[in-house]
Amino acid sequence: MRGEAGAAGRAGPVRAASRVAGRAATRAWLFAALIGAWWAWSAGSTSVYFPPLAKILRTLWSQWAVGPARAQLGSSLEHLVLGYAIAGLAGIGIGALLWSLRYLREATSPYMYFLYVLPAPVLVPAVITIFGIGAAMKVVIIAFAAVWPTLLNTLDGMRGVDPVKLDTARALGMSAARRTFTVVLPAAAPQVVAGLRNSLQVSIVLMVVSEWVASTGGIGYYIVNAQESFDYLGMWSGILMLAIVGCAANLLFVLAENRLLYWHYGARAAERRA
Amino acid sequence: MMGQSPQPSVVALRGVRKAYPLRGGGQRLALADVTFEVARGEFACVVGPSGAGKTTLLRCLAGLAMPTSGVVEFEGTPLRQVPAGVGVVFQDYGRSLFPWLTVRGNVDLALKARGVAREARPGRIAEVLASVGLADVGRSYPWQLSGGMQQRVAIARALACRPDLLLMDEPFASVDAQTRFGLEDLILRVRDESGVTVVFVTHDIDEAVYLADRVIVLSAAPGVVSEVIDIALPRPRDQVATKRDETFAAYREHLLGLVMTR
Amino acid sequence: MAGAVVIPEGRFARSGPGRDWALRYGMRLAVLAAALALWQALSEAGLIRGDEFPSMTATVSALGRQAASASLWAAVRDTLAGWAIGLAIGGGCAIVIGSLAGLSGFAYRSVIGVVEFFKTIPVIAILPIALVLWGATLTMKVALVAFAVFWPLVIQVCYGVRSLDPIARDTARALRVRGAREFLMVVLPSAAPFIATGLRVSVAVALIVDIVAELIGGGSGIGAQILLAENSGPSAYPVMYAYILVAGLLGVLLAGVFTLVEGRVMHWHESYRMAAGHAG
Repeated sequence: MRGEAGAAGRAGPVRAASRVAGRAATRAWLFAALIGAWWAWSAGSTSVYFPPLAKILRTLWSQWAVGPARAQLGSSLEHLVLGYAIAGLAGIGIGALLWSLRYLREATSPYMYFLYVLPAPVLVPAVITIFGIGAAMKVVIIAFAAVWPTLLNTLDGMRGVDPVKLDTARALGMSAARRTFTVVLPAAAPQVVAGLRNSLQVSIVLMVVSEWVASTGGIGYYIVNAQESFDYLGMWSGILMLAIVGCAANLLFVLAENRLLYWHYGARAAERRA
Repeated sequence: MMGQSPQPSVVALRGVRKAYPLRGGGQRLALADVTFEVARGEFACVVGPSGAGKTTLLRCLAGLAMPTSGVVEFEGTPLRQVPAGVGVVFQDYGRSLFPWLTVRGNVDLALKARGVAREARPGRIAEVLASVGLADVGRSYPWQLSGGMQQRVAIARALACRPDLLLMDEPFASVDAQTRFGLEDLILRVRDESGVTVVFVTHDIDEAVYLADRVIVLSAAPGVVSEVIDIALPRPRDQVATKRDETFAAYREHLLGLVMTR
Repeated sequence: MAGAVVIPEGRFARSGPGRDWALRYGMRLAVLAAALALWQALSEAGLIRGDEFPSMTATVSALGRQAASASLWAAVRDTLAGWAIGLAIGGGCAIVIGSLAGLSGFAYRSVIGVVEFFKTIPVIAILPIALVLWGATLTMKVALVAFAVFWPLVIQVCYGVRSLDPIARDTARALRVRGAREFLMVVLPSAAPFIATGLRVSVAVALIVDIVAELIGGGSGIGAQILLAENSGPSAYPVMYAYILVAGLLGVLLAGVFTLVEGRVMHWHESYRMAAGHAG
């Protein structure tokens, strides 16, 4: 029926707020407990390899938030964003193109699948021999590796579009081009987005690996440099920074996805209720 | 009881045959030889047992499928693709309506597809939504609405470009009985107000007799037209009065006999 | 599931009536032959510099030589060791812990936040710690693979266990099936599709993490061979590319085997009974 207002609305604002708080607490307590445990366990640590969490966090701040490592962070993020953007656009564009060119698609699909399954980091040494160790190499390898999940998922999503929608589009008199852009792509969007999420993870991994192997800048370089200089405090701060980047990227992605696919989750929820 | 239509036909089928290739080789014959015409402004219902090829027939009428042999004519011209001037309402409104667009967006898309000018669209959208009784849900998404309302949206979308022919494939099969009566009366009203020709496929005999000027009975696969029956019940039809009529019961009994034995 | 999608081989290898099938495979072979020929032509024309990128024939012959010698098979064996053991440990833990967490609503809600967070950490970040703890050994690889496999899989198992159809649960109760038997015979089978999807992704992820660990951390295996070849200079590049091809082929092989096994084990489930399956 109309709308999907939560049951909380009926219970009064105070009850609702405490329920939300309660739910948040359930989800957070274990996390807080683990952090607390790490803090406590490492507090008196004299081991070089496992410094106290307090010190790591301080280093995280002094190096990455206000200090010299900021440049490394910026460099990493630049390459990540550029490589991912290229991969995303190319993945969707080429996927849509191949969807409409049946013979080309059938002829090349096993090879695309091969490249998708190939562990992309193994290409890093190879790409370095061709492109050197600069920014171009990093963007190229990120884009090349990350294009496949989006491409294959776009293709798969478009092929799996509900035939009733296609019939409807034809019955409305849409040309093939209009059908593709206004019906097939939106209908495939949930799967395209799943591909983009996978591509994001691949992009992050390749960002780090390329920096690690090339050793010229970025978070990966910072970590390996710290490790080789026995600066374990710095190494840990780099690891935490990387974890934060991964987490933040995912969070941003989920936020964007919820806005873009609002209709999809709404329709699914309505279906389940029916 | 063959019916002859003296007025010019909107759509005509002659000797239409439709075969589907099967996976392991060979063919399945859905329609063997279908011939009938529908006159302008007429409300024709197509009934038949399950698997009789009713949906195949509708798709041929819409230009979504091409017959293996025989010809489908729309306003005198043989059909090669979906013609302008045809509106289609599918049974599964949940899958036919586009969930990423609002109700207004769905109707707007129909207008855009046929090249209606931007200035004219909002007015037409409001008009057609009002005609199906959905004046104030334009901003909602289809999946936020009840089944009956969703099917009204689908009908509005099909009517947006003022088609000459409205094709409906078991459109009310997925809604509950009460809603169905409301939708039946709605479609009769729409036909009376706009003069559109309707071909309505259904498995529900009561519905067919209630709505139709003529009922076309399709035999079981391979489908041929077994009979065409004129429904001489008075208009406007009424859910209570018409169904109480003895003639209604007679038609019903006759049709049930045809559909259930074949 | 709106998560990573690995498209099973079956989707591409559809077979059909004779002529169509022959045309499809003919086209694919033609594409491969054309690509290889183009590669060789570019190398010979000097458009690809010999010190950057080896010719096709050099790569293929390097592949052949490696295959004839013991080193390729030793590398494959070492890679598979890390992959298999890591997958077993990570997968096993995920199924056990995921089942426990899925059964209790409170446990699920407590655990889900932490798991989601750890899932977003690029496993590569843990590599330095693993190296510090274990050096360039099999243990290091196994630890990383298990860590990488655990987080996404545990979520899938949780979802699967929680997705139990209330009707199935009520039926079990009415038949007086309880406890461990209920778990094994009712809950686990209904969770199976989720677990299968999670495992399919895990198989691929495990290989990637395994090879990356070798590539960066060292030790033995395909990744290590690639690193070795790269450090040996341009003359060894054909070997490097040969191992890259091996890595890809191994991935395809493992994914294919998984799809076969999955099809056999899950044949009873409705989504597998339908002829052309979609990825989960």
